[in-house]
Amino acid sequence: MADDWTAAWQPVVDAVGGDFGGEAVEGADAVDASALRRFLEPLEFDCPLHHEDGVAPISSYFTFVAPPIWRPGGGSAFTSDERDAQPEGVGVRRFLTGLEPPHTGYFAADFEIEPLLPVVLGDRLTRAGRKLVGCELKETSVGRGAFMTWEWEARNQRHEVVARFRNTMFVYNGPED
Amino acid sequence: MDWSEQRYWDDVEEGADVPAVAFPLSVYRLVVEAGANRDFNSIHHNSEYARASGAPEMYANTGFLLGMWERMVREFIGLGGGIRRIAGFRMRRFNTVGGTVVVRGRVKSKRREAGEALVELEVWSELAGETTVGPGIVTVALPVRS
Repeated sequence: MADDWTAAWQPVVDAVGGDFGGEAVEGADAVDASALRRFLEPLEFDCPLHHEDGVAPISSYFTFVAPPIWRPGGGSAFTSDERDAQPEGVGVRRFLTGLEPPHTGYFAADFEIEPLLPVVLGDRLTRAGRKLVGCELKETSVGRGAFMTWEWEARNQRHEVVARFRNTMFVYNGPED
Repeated sequence: MDWSEQRYWDDVEEGADVPAVAFPLSVYRLVVEAGANRDFNSIHHNSEYARASGAPEMYANTGFLLGMWERMVREFIGLGGGIRRIAGFRMRRFNTVGGTVVVRGRVKSKRREAGEALVELEVWSELAGETTVGPGIVTVALPVRS
């Protein structure tokens, strides 16, 4: 039936309001001068607050909560020599409930950030909380899926909330499926 | 950019334009960006993978696009300004390689609130004359002259 795909997403729709955060996820690296410089480089962003004073741009918070692709003792991430193979475990960065039907792709659609405290050199950020606050089913040009909206926060090594986030991801199955 | 100059809340006029900033998108730049902001989703640096996902080409990632907004806003508010909130950052179209993203803005309103002098900037990104991100609202605080 043409509408079966929406039924497959119903468990996710029913899960709206739930927190799927689990344990806080620590970013791959502390905020250091080289990471800041690399972040600013493709933006050609020469603000001395970031280059000289060591204050992280707000747009970099999402980077500093990103977990590593591989970590010592964590098993192999690069297990395939297929040209476009994706590393195992990279989905850690993706926000999912575990209830989603099989899907082939995802992309970010919407983003909101409320910075509360500065992030500076030496800080180590973690992503905490992951509340599903919306799930809108939709068929788009790239496929059928759900716009899933999440709320979460970033904390520093002192467990202070440095920013609150709200982001929407479109998780979908391509048209060939 | 002369960072010694500071814009003050008193001098900001509603309806005024925020100076635009252009970001040409080459494969080279997208690859540097992926390494810099650790968004290695292949849709952002692999044309074949991006096309297989339904996109027309590889395209700029969220962190890059958000950074573009932050750079334009920071250049407008100067070192003494602060960013209080970014909302409405809706990615409507793919910002694909081979084009130039232009970030534009306009002063939407200004107000005093909780001891701060705030300005709401309407911000959006364009590619080939079409709005690709936003328009959203970036709320900033500025110093006051008096």
